[in-house]
Amino acid sequence: MQNPLHIEPQQAFNEIATFQRKLAAGLQNLRGLGEQDYANTPREAIHSEDKLTVWHMKGHHKPTAKVPTLIVYALVNTVWMTDLQDDRSLVRNLLDQGEDVYLIDWGYPDGADRWLTLDDYLNGYLDRAVDAVRHRHGLDAINLLGICQGGTFSLCYTAMHPEKVKNLVTMVTPVDFRTSDNMLSHWVQNMDIDLFVDTLGNVPAALMNWVYLMLKPLRLNQQKYVSLVDILDNPQELKNFLRMERWIFDSPDQAGEAFREFIKLFFQQNSLIKGDLQIGKQPVDLGMITQPVLNIFATQDHLVPPDASRALQQHVGTTDYTEVAFKGGHIGIYVSGRAQREVAPAIHQWLRERGA
Amino acid sequence: MADQANEFLKDYQAFAQQSWDAWMRYLQQQSGPSNPFGVGATAMPQQGDFLARSMASLKAYGNWLQQAASAGLGQQPTNPWQQPAAMQAFLSAFNQPFAQTIAGIDSASAFGLDHQWQAWLQAMQQAGTMGVPGMAGMPGLSPQMAAFGITREVQLDQQALAAAMQKYAQINARYQGLLQKVNAQGITKLQETLAQHGEPGKQVESLKGLYDLWVDAMEEAYAEMALSQEFRDVFGAMVNAQMDVRKLQQQQTEQVCRELGIPTRSEVDSLGKRLQQVRRELKTREQAQSTPEASLVHTLQVEIAALKRELAASKGETKVRPIEQASGSGNGNGKPGTPSRRTKATRSAAGKRK
Repeated sequence: MQNPLHIEPQQAFNEIATFQRKLAAGLQNLRGLGEQDYANTPREAIHSEDKLTVWHMKGHHKPTAKVPTLIVYALVNTVWMTDLQDDRSLVRNLLDQGEDVYLIDWGYPDGADRWLTLDDYLNGYLDRAVDAVRHRHGLDAINLLGICQGGTFSLCYTAMHPEKVKNLVTMVTPVDFRTSDNMLSHWVQNMDIDLFVDTLGNVPAALMNWVYLMLKPLRLNQQKYVSLVDILDNPQELKNFLRMERWIFDSPDQAGEAFREFIKLFFQQNSLIKGDLQIGKQPVDLGMITQPVLNIFATQDHLVPPDASRALQQHVGTTDYTEVAFKGGHIGIYVSGRAQREVAPAIHQWLRERGA
Repeated sequence: MADQANEFLKDYQAFAQQSWDAWMRYLQQQSGPSNPFGVGATAMPQQGDFLARSMASLKAYGNWLQQAASAGLGQQPTNPWQQPAAMQAFLSAFNQPFAQTIAGIDSASAFGLDHQWQAWLQAMQQAGTMGVPGMAGMPGLSPQMAAFGITREVQLDQQALAAAMQKYAQINARYQGLLQKVNAQGITKLQETLAQHGEPGKQVESLKGLYDLWVDAMEEAYAEMALSQEFRDVFGAMVNAQMDVRKLQQQQTEQVCRELGIPTRSEVDSLGKRLQQVRRELKTREQAQSTPEASLVHTLQVEIAALKRELAASKGETKVRPIEQASGSGNGNGKPGTPSRRTKATRSAAGKRK
């Protein structure tokens, strides 16, 4: 066996010197770039309440869909991941397919939102958002597209208000919160959530960011920025990188009471699949979901492991259940090149087959 | 060969230092004019400081390169993989970067308590609430000291805080110990990985290539640790201990605020809780009041739709019959309690066909 390292001193010196030179030169390119805009697909606010806004997204053509689709995003991070940039936008791709797309922007909670509960969010804000879209179209029921925690919310909502949901699409949505590979869940099991929320009130976004970085500390906090040096001389790539950085760290604080309930009921007690979940005064039984369900998960998801999503099939009441495995990660499912080609067409085709 | 390596190292270290100095000068130039909020805000970090913290990951990579180079990688005339001592010497260079990275994330985030700790102690001492001499850095806070006299309650509060801080420090030490284990296990994994690169054509030929393997090994070791029962216990205990400290800090801060007539967070929270309850009750009442009307409108809409269908049927039965038949066949499957949405879908379809 030979020495596995075959790196000559001069070669190593050149490599380091090249890195230093690229970094020094590339830093100049950061000057003047400023904040990068999201795609900003044309949109119209059709409903607002406190910090929440429901946007109607406008495409180049009139929608051909018979039933509008409301995107329900998570409370962590912002919904603009679905409309990140011109050529990486789930929203635009859906619009191009002819879907009629609405989305909920939850806004940035502050002290006034400290006591919002899951009941306030789901049977209050979300229900009124759904009603706003339903009434606008004169429909009994609309499609929901829930993403991550928003997918979990959509499942709960559909179970509680089945008459208002025609078809349900969930993306990278946790259902079984206690799979053995779920690092986030593992970490919160021994946390005293009451003490945590009583102390912090709203949970600061910076703390949430810290937790996410700690899932893969070297990759997310160092290796990523080492790779950045290679694109510092490419303005377009650099802008894309900075736009993603904006989204990653542009996080809302979490309303304290809703956070307390979510961690306890879902992460610690896994009540959603145990069948003993109650939001406000309403029981949440996944068996009540008899609508068609499309469940899309990412095979390399480090935040929501595939098994956490796939558990839905065992608990949902519908006989029309479809599962799609996307080759990619939790973020790649929206912004990768493969996602642009595969995700929106898959959703569109599935909806069309169900007359929506 | 050894001279060549030493010369390389000397050149590199000088080069790296010059480059880093240049970056820092650049960042300082970007930090803009001095803080416009004057004297009271001098403790606020400036833009360049934040940027420098973000740049710390790149500096850590620079350190990594330096340590890898100074370990004399790939330069031994003999095969180090058959010399355990040489292997250890080489791999020991990778002990610190992982811990440094974790520490970097901690200090740059809201979760890093240590730097807040010092600032808070200073603030409380200036406010006169922690002026009793005693423990190093935390005067007069021995948990064993019996409390008495007019400051008895304050003494008890301070003792509770001291105990919480000590507990946090102990648990944090356990947490750091686990991260050190990750270091060790990661190095073992790197060694195993490198052993698979001994064949010609599979050798690692760049520092970046080695760095990527090191990251893979460390992340794998970290993931195993982070999913262990021990980590779960220690992590939970660390968070709980930190919250204990923060809560006690808040209580003491609120005490000072009350004495100064400043509203406290508890009071604001209390108001917010009542306000939210009132809003909830209001929404419930509004909903209850609007429901009968909405229900009436809905009933009327259904009746109008039915009348329209009857009218259409009387004008041209053939157009309507298929719908009725379809509706009948949809519901006539012999199963009671057909899902209401199917009925609605049929009704909707009927409406469309008109």
